[in-house]
Amino acid sequence: MGFPALAADGVSVGGYVGSAVCQTCHPDVTLNFYKNPHYKSVASGKETAERTGCEGCHGPAAAHVAARGGKTTIPHAFSLMKPAEVLDDCLTCHAKDVSRANIRRSVHTDADVVCSTCHSIHKPQTPKYLLAKVQKDLCYECHQTVRAQFEMPVKHRVNEGVIECSDCHNPHGTFAATWSTGIRPRMVDEASGPGAGQNLGNEETCIKCHQDKRGPFVFEHAPVRVDGCESCHFPHGSMNSKLLRRPVVYTVCLECHNGAGTFGITGSGVIATSSAHNLLDPRFRNCTNCHVRIHGSNADPNFLR
Amino acid sequence: MKRTLLLSLIALIAMAARAQDTVAPTTGETVGSARGENAGDYNIVQSWEPGYRYSLVGGDEGKYRSDVNYGNGVRLLASYLTVNSRDGHGHWFDEIVLSTQGLGNDPYESATLRVQKNGLYRYDMMWRLNDYFNPGLATSDGLHLENTSQRWQDHDLTLFPQSHFRFHAGYGRNKEDGPALSSVNLFDSQRGDVFSLFSNVRREYNSYRVGADADMFGFRLSVLRRWEFYKEDTPYSLGGGIQLAGPNGVDPSTLTAFNRSAPIHGSTPGWLVTLLTDRKRYAVNGRFTYSGGDNNFVLNEAAVGTGLTGTENRLIITYGDAKRVAATGDLNLSVFPTERLTITNNTSVDNTRIGGNSFYEEIDLATLSADILNFQFLGIRLITNSTDAHFRATKKFDFFTGFRFVDREIRSIQSTADPSPPVATSFANTLNAQTDHVYAGAVGMNWLIAAPLRLHVEAEIGRNDNPFTPIDEKNYHAIDSRLQYRRKTVTASAGYKQMYNNNSVTLTAYSAHSRDYFGNFSWAAREWFAVDLGYSRLHLDTAGGIVFFTGSPRATLQTGTSIYVSNIHAANLGARVALRKRADFYIGYNITRDTGPTFPLNFATPLARLTIPITPKLKWNAGYQYYGYHEFVAVAPVLENYHAHTGYTSLLFSF
Repeated sequence: MGFPALAADGVSVGGYVGSAVCQTCHPDVTLNFYKNPHYKSVASGKETAERTGCEGCHGPAAAHVAARGGKTTIPHAFSLMKPAEVLDDCLTCHAKDVSRANIRRSVHTDADVVCSTCHSIHKPQTPKYLLAKVQKDLCYECHQTVRAQFEMPVKHRVNEGVIECSDCHNPHGTFAATWSTGIRPRMVDEASGPGAGQNLGNEETCIKCHQDKRGPFVFEHAPVRVDGCESCHFPHGSMNSKLLRRPVVYTVCLECHNGAGTFGITGSGVIATSSAHNLLDPRFRNCTNCHVRIHGSNADPNFLR
Repeated sequence: MKRTLLLSLIALIAMAARAQDTVAPTTGETVGSARGENAGDYNIVQSWEPGYRYSLVGGDEGKYRSDVNYGNGVRLLASYLTVNSRDGHGHWFDEIVLSTQGLGNDPYESATLRVQKNGLYRYDMMWRLNDYFNPGLATSDGLHLENTSQRWQDHDLTLFPQSHFRFHAGYGRNKEDGPALSSVNLFDSQRGDVFSLFSNVRREYNSYRVGADADMFGFRLSVLRRWEFYKEDTPYSLGGGIQLAGPNGVDPSTLTAFNRSAPIHGSTPGWLVTLLTDRKRYAVNGRFTYSGGDNNFVLNEAAVGTGLTGTENRLIITYGDAKRVAATGDLNLSVFPTERLTITNNTSVDNTRIGGNSFYEEIDLATLSADILNFQFLGIRLITNSTDAHFRATKKFDFFTGFRFVDREIRSIQSTADPSPPVATSFANTLNAQTDHVYAGAVGMNWLIAAPLRLHVEAEIGRNDNPFTPIDEKNYHAIDSRLQYRRKTVTASAGYKQMYNNNSVTLTAYSAHSRDYFGNFSWAAREWFAVDLGYSRLHLDTAGGIVFFTGSPRATLQTGTSIYVSNIHAANLGARVALRKRADFYIGYNITRDTGPTFPLNFATPLARLTIPITPKLKWNAGYQYYGYHEFVAVAPVLENYHAHTGYTSLLFSF
């Protein structure tokens, strides 16, 4: 417990004094620091002065000690630093991880949402990842409209605690989506299996849990692969059953299946419904009652089985 | 004293600013407070919250189970345990973190565990359960009811996590089972009727992975190999008795016997290779990821009944395999010419090829009536290049801009052949290929107007010259703005988001307009009082050209426009009052109201929660939450309205 003195004389080259000196005035911070993941660098005893303890992040403290405290004398006082400086400081150690490979171009970085906006090193509410708040509350702070979506009657169970925002999103940025062409979707992770980490695969994140929709199928419903699940579903929450974009099933289908233009897999319009499908007959209004394998089928080109 | 007060205020802000959770477990409570107890060289913090949950539901219980699903009974509502070595040199471990929620009988259960020893290993475990119920009334007239349980688990082990050479191994599992209903169209694919089937859902996914990282010459090289296996063995049956035709009262069709087995077994091997570095003036990273995919399947379906033309006795046999290869490469290059400027370029290339054979054999009344070999290929090649620049003009103002170009090619072959002798036909391999290009630009800025007041605005505009579907983005723009005020005891924000898309062709036109407004306010007024308010308005209107057949006695082609307008008002209120150290009271109210006019409905969930300390280590909690769901227009055959009174009482032991 506690911090080893850096050197017998207490001062090292470059103005580093060692964390034991910091402990003198900041016992509230250092008392429980052994529970902090950053304590690993202290415990190892192998790191150089600029890569361990308080000064590993805050910089050499000799001037701060000489001035008997004061935020402005701390070389790296995070509350006074510009967002880009915070990012650079943390990436000194945390850059070389594939989950943070896109952080320099992420939407969060562009919006000046950097490490210290979400992570609290000294007062975290979660011991894993040192988040300043429980994850969903942290995200909702800025994403109020997403919060509204998760409070709709039909939603993924984020508020209930069974899944988290980071199950689908990588807040540190993602590679370009392989299932879409626009700048959005933003920060939607690319998945392989459940919990297998971030950016490991090259498929849409939904298949992490919905493995039965993954295929491959001999007869793919092409929009699922080309444009992704959002073609038909709202991913966060919806007023409609099954997170569908429309309350009535046939309207979801007919908005694409109108035979018009150069759309669709053949480039000559998405095939319209058959003349035998008289919408006055209730059996033709819920299309998936017959086309049960709408996400893809191995047995039937029309997804009937 | 001042510091203690400040910390308390910060904690209060955090508690009050919580989103409104479900009523239990006790939120806002510092579960596993920092007290802890020392045992040898370790410090242990733990809390356990066993309790009883109840629910009383009126109205459509199926819809309640689909939306909420909390039931009655005893649970371990939440638990939390940390064990930390006090010097970072524990014998077997330096840290254990365990947290659970809902164990025992809740529909949503989870557990996470981390065990690590500094420098030697780190082990992470995740386990979750989701009980899913959906009556399927709105989407299938009840023919697709689901009552399943899905369980996930994942184990991840890293050896030597702090060294220059690290090794990873992991295992994941995703299993879903339970009874469900399905349906089948029989005896005539165009005019045949729908029959309800019983299915016993059995899906299982297992994945294994091993890998290593190496830090060399300022670069980190990571290689990961993974193997994923999926199988689905869901049987379908009639469930006994003669079944009349589905939602078509005049159809004389009946189904007297039905059985289907359709096992699918597949595997997906994969590779991931990454190379990264981050230097003072530049950063480079590259990624290559590959997933194979192979599904083998057989379907055997027997159906006996009466169709439009009389007695039916049909056997369908299908077998074959489906394959997918997906390979993706990415290259990111960031340069920092000055401390104020960051320029990043990203290039991604993705190539997905899906194909397979499906042999279809249909025997009607012991006569071979169809013998078909289907082949389909779908190829998607996507090349994306993005360039982003971020310039920090002053300490208070920075702006950014970006451009993205996408080139996509979609190729498809859909082919059918009759392989039966003596006149076997061959595939007519007509290749359809089409390309589309997207040009999108974005610009935005961050302005620190005054120390606690910050403005963020960004906008994007894009053009797609050949979208894949009529509802895709073609001519679109998006605006996102947020004004945020943050002081020690007050946080407030307001914003506006807009997304317009126009995708029109000669026959039909599709347009979508979404406009979202939001504002929220959190105030920790006193140590004993905090309040949190939020409001969002989500507007969406779409107009899509549709064609369909309708009419009596003969259906004729109709064209029209499908118009959907949704105006959702969502508000939340939360207030916390601490009565000295004797009680802690929280009230919250959430309402989500869609004023339509297409599909108006109302969903409201007020809640109240009380915590009373009994001893320093023991607290008694009680909570109540009401759920009221009210549709004004029925989508299902009936209005699915419900109201539910739910609540819980629990004891929270903290050590």
